[in-house]
Amino acid sequence: MSFLSLGYVLQQIVNGFILGSIYSLVAIGFSMIFSIIGLINFSHGDILMLGAFSALAFIAALHGSIWVVFGMVGIVGFLIGIVIERVAFRPIRSAPQVTGFITSLAVSSLIENLGILLLTAQPRSFNIPDYLNKLLSFGSVSFRMIDAIIVILSTVIVITLYLYTKHTRIGMAMRATAQNIDASKLMGINVNRVIMIAFAIGSALAAIAGLMWGAKFGQISPLMGFLPGLKAFVAAVIGGIRDIRGAVLGGYVLGFSEVLFVGLLPPDMSGYRDAFVFTLLIVILLIKPEGMLGREEEVIK
Amino acid sequence: MRDRFLAGTYSVLILAVVSYTMNSMLNDYHLTVIEFLGIYVILAVSLSLTNSFTGLFSLGHPAFMAIGAYISAILTFPPMRKAIMMPALPHFLANVQLPFYLALIIGGMVAALSAFVIGFPVLRLRGHYLAVATIGFMIIVQVLITNMNSITRGPLGINGIYPYTNIWWVYIWVVVTIYTVWRVLNSKFGRAMLAIREDEIAAESLGISLTYFKLLPLVLGAFFAGVAGGLWAHLVTAITPSSFSLPLAFLLVVMLVIGGKSITGAVIGALLIGVVSELLRPLEMATQMYGLTQIVTAIGLLVILIKRPGGIAGNKELDLVALYRGLRILR
Amino acid sequence: MRRGIVVFMVVVSLILAFGNFGYAAGVIKIGALYNLTGEMSSIDAPALNGVKLAAKEVNEKGGVLGKKIKIIAIDTKTNQKECATAARQLLSEGVVAGIGYGDTTYVLAAAPLFQKKHVPFITSGATLPELPKMIGSYMFLVPFGDNVQAYAMADFLYKDLHVRKVVIWTNKATDYTLALSKYFKERFTKLAGKKSILLEDFFQTGDKDYSAQIARVKALKPQPDALFISSIPDDIGIIVKQVREAGIKQPIAGGDGYDTPLLVKVPGPKLANDIYYTTHQAWDNPDPVVQNFIKNYEKMFGHKPENAFAALGYDALMLVVRAIKRAGSDNPTAIRDALAKEHGYHGVAGTISYKHGSRVPQKAVAIMKVEHGKIKFVKMVMPNM
Repeated sequence: MSFLSLGYVLQQIVNGFILGSIYSLVAIGFSMIFSIIGLINFSHGDILMLGAFSALAFIAALHGSIWVVFGMVGIVGFLIGIVIERVAFRPIRSAPQVTGFITSLAVSSLIENLGILLLTAQPRSFNIPDYLNKLLSFGSVSFRMIDAIIVILSTVIVITLYLYTKHTRIGMAMRATAQNIDASKLMGINVNRVIMIAFAIGSALAAIAGLMWGAKFGQISPLMGFLPGLKAFVAAVIGGIRDIRGAVLGGYVLGFSEVLFVGLLPPDMSGYRDAFVFTLLIVILLIKPEGMLGREEEVIK
Repeated sequence: MRDRFLAGTYSVLILAVVSYTMNSMLNDYHLTVIEFLGIYVILAVSLSLTNSFTGLFSLGHPAFMAIGAYISAILTFPPMRKAIMMPALPHFLANVQLPFYLALIIGGMVAALSAFVIGFPVLRLRGHYLAVATIGFMIIVQVLITNMNSITRGPLGINGIYPYTNIWWVYIWVVVTIYTVWRVLNSKFGRAMLAIREDEIAAESLGISLTYFKLLPLVLGAFFAGVAGGLWAHLVTAITPSSFSLPLAFLLVVMLVIGGKSITGAVIGALLIGVVSELLRPLEMATQMYGLTQIVTAIGLLVILIKRPGGIAGNKELDLVALYRGLRILR
Repeated sequence: MRRGIVVFMVVVSLILAFGNFGYAAGVIKIGALYNLTGEMSSIDAPALNGVKLAAKEVNEKGGVLGKKIKIIAIDTKTNQKECATAARQLLSEGVVAGIGYGDTTYVLAAAPLFQKKHVPFITSGATLPELPKMIGSYMFLVPFGDNVQAYAMADFLYKDLHVRKVVIWTNKATDYTLALSKYFKERFTKLAGKKSILLEDFFQTGDKDYSAQIARVKALKPQPDALFISSIPDDIGIIVKQVREAGIKQPIAGGDGYDTPLLVKVPGPKLANDIYYTTHQAWDNPDPVVQNFIKNYEKMFGHKPENAFAALGYDALMLVVRAIKRAGSDNPTAIRDALAKEHGYHGVAGTISYKHGSRVPQKAVAIMKVEHGKIKFVKMVMPNM
């Protein structure tokens, strides 16, 4: 294969990195919610969609700097997370895990179909200011300004979040609740507030990821959230769902395997790409059933 | 003991009479809706073996349906058509044309076999890890079907399948499925499965072989899912790789959660979900607000889950014996 | 309270369900099956709009045979099971014809039922030319077949653009794109020889990253003269954007899947350049039939037609109405026979005739060019078949 030069492989690695950054942001939000209340939230992907659409609205209305838009989209996601938690998930918190999963499916269906009803199913173009599209080349590897922003911003967010959970009171409260919710309550932690904040932060991240997705690929639609949501779920599980670091790792593993399998498989095998990706993931799970960074689940029912 | 036998026999007979009446009185459209309801019941009850009773979160059912659907469709196709449509089909499949019941059973058995093969590695995973693995399995099956164009016709799928499915076939398989699941549950297998659901480690320490007792519900459930897939294929008469995918897996899990963790619950959940979209359709057509069905279903789902998180039937089973005795006393 | 609401809704639904049987006399019922929710909705929803616009115009002129047309539309949610039940529901309500779908997959689930009941089914958007053969004498296509449009593009590239070497990219996950590429390859190799296809590469619906395929093209020696990319509307904007961003300057060519505003909007005017595609008609065609359609569509729905399927939906209904008039009756078999005799309907999406017993129309193909973000009509082609 004459195209398999070092430059090509490097470029693919860079592409995988960019895609992985977006997946990680969504996976983190997913795993934050799961680690604290054991909820598999399938509506997470649709929050990405809401973030993308609100970003479109903000860009059109504000003509301002992209950072302002990022901030506003984050706030929108934050608020949506609070609302969804309060309305849909708090009432069923004491129910078995699978009920929460179905609830999230219902919320997802609601958001998607309201989107189709109000916004029509037509995909829309997502255009960003020209300076963000500037191509930056380093040898045979190139990427655009927006790609650089995506990677830098997600790294900053991830590091900030990690420090936040490690060193602030709320962060520690979140980790405590994740480890043992009853003991946390006994220790005086306001578990309701912690859960709400976890939802809010997770959703803010998903919304920002939506803006990134739209900016990178140039196209959004009401149904765009389903697949990234599913992938976030897979990524978080693969990486080890109890830990933010696991989610980030899972996001990058998924991003890389997607890009690399397309890049390295010969054209006539490319149709089998998803099969290869998932076989790899199943193999990872078989070797490490708790995810790559997972630990044995505590046997406390 | 005698009461149980009589209660069971009477219910089967009543269902038969109802089926006969519906067959002669209802038009094709209503019959089709009812046949789909029956297929949904088979799917939900077969999924309950793993999901409700053994506590395994399996999202792989559509893969077993797909296998059963494609195999049974290929088997009932006349050899001449197969030569044109699926040139790379191996000889033993290309030259044979089987009667419907045989094709269904073989489809179910191949699905069960695939469950056996995939079960060994995958069933040692728990909870959401198992869910991811079963999603992976379903996608792998879908990708294989999509790409093996000369055997499965790829994305175009198979069409012109002979419409063998009618209410009698559905009815028979509903009865067989419910009866089989009921027998399994009330045997030592069932008790082992429930023990695993409650506490795997304790169950293992009691000498229950986890592998064997997790494999059994998966394989059995896969068999009925394969049969249901065959019934589906011969009802819709057209199948494609995307006919059996993740949204269907979700729908089945929704049925189990809404209905509850018993066989009765699975039946209720299947009937409710199956009926709701048909009932809401006139509303959607009248208001022309497309997507309304899904929105109302989602809201209804949320309301039910908030009010009764354990599902409508919870853990309880419909006690046919008590019903029978009660009716007898009335007489 | 809650139970009361549920009961109320059930009652309302039942009333609406059975209420439909009310006034059967004085109305001609035509069924419309489309996927208005789910992945196919961006293609199907405009088609239904076209159908409704046509029905409104016909009814405003007094209907047909003295009766008004009633469109019974069902959303089949991009789900074949829904197709099967919805088709049966329409047939049980006594529709005299069925119109629907932009994709073969759903036609295959619904049309055989119409065939069995001897009711004609006209697809406004599916382009598989073998459909009438697969389903039967009651199956009709409004658009041209994929073979026609692929041959047209192959001819155009060879004769007009002097292309001798191509790279073909095909979406492996839909039968439409597979068929399009198959026919293109068939014709192009006949014109330019077997070695004219330098590379055949693949992708899938919804793919977001094409850098691998792009790298493979760039590594080719010699370079192709053009890229033939078989894609559905939702993907083509992204593909063009990435291909042009990577610096590939050769012309990009394709089928009616390019007929979407996304083709220009997603890459932007600088990158949307040197693209050719086949489609059903040109929006800037000064023909009053086309311009009136655009005007009336905007008046009824508040925006211009989203894609060519809107025009095809309109034409589908008009074809049925013309057949009813010709037949002088609303008997489905009579309608079918009259439809098969259509010899020149001047529609929005071209002139349609069903000749020599074929139920795929003899229809010219419009070739469009995209130049710096502007879509220009090049010419109409009717390839030798």
